[in-house]
Amino acid sequence: MFYTVCMICLAAMFVTGLMCLYRIVIGPNAADRAVSLDLLATVFIGVICVLCVIGGSAWYFDAVWILTLVGFIGSAAIARYMEKGKVL
Amino acid sequence: MEFLIELLASITMLLGALLMVASGIGLIRLPDVFCRMHAVGKAGTLGIVMMITGTVIYFLPSDLSVLFRGLLAIFFQFLTTPAATHLLARAAYLSDYPISERTAVDELKTYLPSRPDDLVGGAD
Repeated sequence: MFYTVCMICLAAMFVTGLMCLYRIVIGPNAADRAVSLDLLATVFIGVICVLCVIGGSAWYFDAVWILTLVGFIGSAAIARYMEKGKVL
Repeated sequence: MEFLIELLASITMLLGALLMVASGIGLIRLPDVFCRMHAVGKAGTLGIVMMITGTVIYFLPSDLSVLFRGLLAIFFQFLTTPAATHLLARAAYLSDYPISERTAVDELKTYLPSRPDDLVGGAD
């Protein structure tokens, strides 16, 4: 029963990732792609959470908050680049 | 007790996954960049926070350290995602990306007269 719920969550993450990839491919400009990459990083975090629950071990759970910080740095760098400012 | 914890964890994780799918649908269906940022910044953040909460609930009886790591993850998520979305929206507006023709009011334009007028309606 609980395994089925985890599989449903993984399928939802898969569908969301496909939507992000679709927007990255057809996105009219750079800001759309940056927003899609932001959501894709969030989807990866969700996949890590579900895999922790399925595997029954919390050893991967540190990757969740580390990926959050790395995703923020990526979005901030893209935003600075679009404003034609200094990235660092 | 174990059944109760599994029930709570599955309800929270299913709600989170549903919010993530709603965020993805908004990313595809909404008309311009700023509306898509609205979908990602609100629904996506709440969805991932609910998924982290479900994982924490599942591991709570066996491993207490997951609670602190989960609280740290939720804190960073609430701290960084609105800031990143705000940075991207500001950059997109300042670099003259087009907005949807259905936009009712654009208050920022009165403070930025240098933004051209013909950008409305050029979005996908």
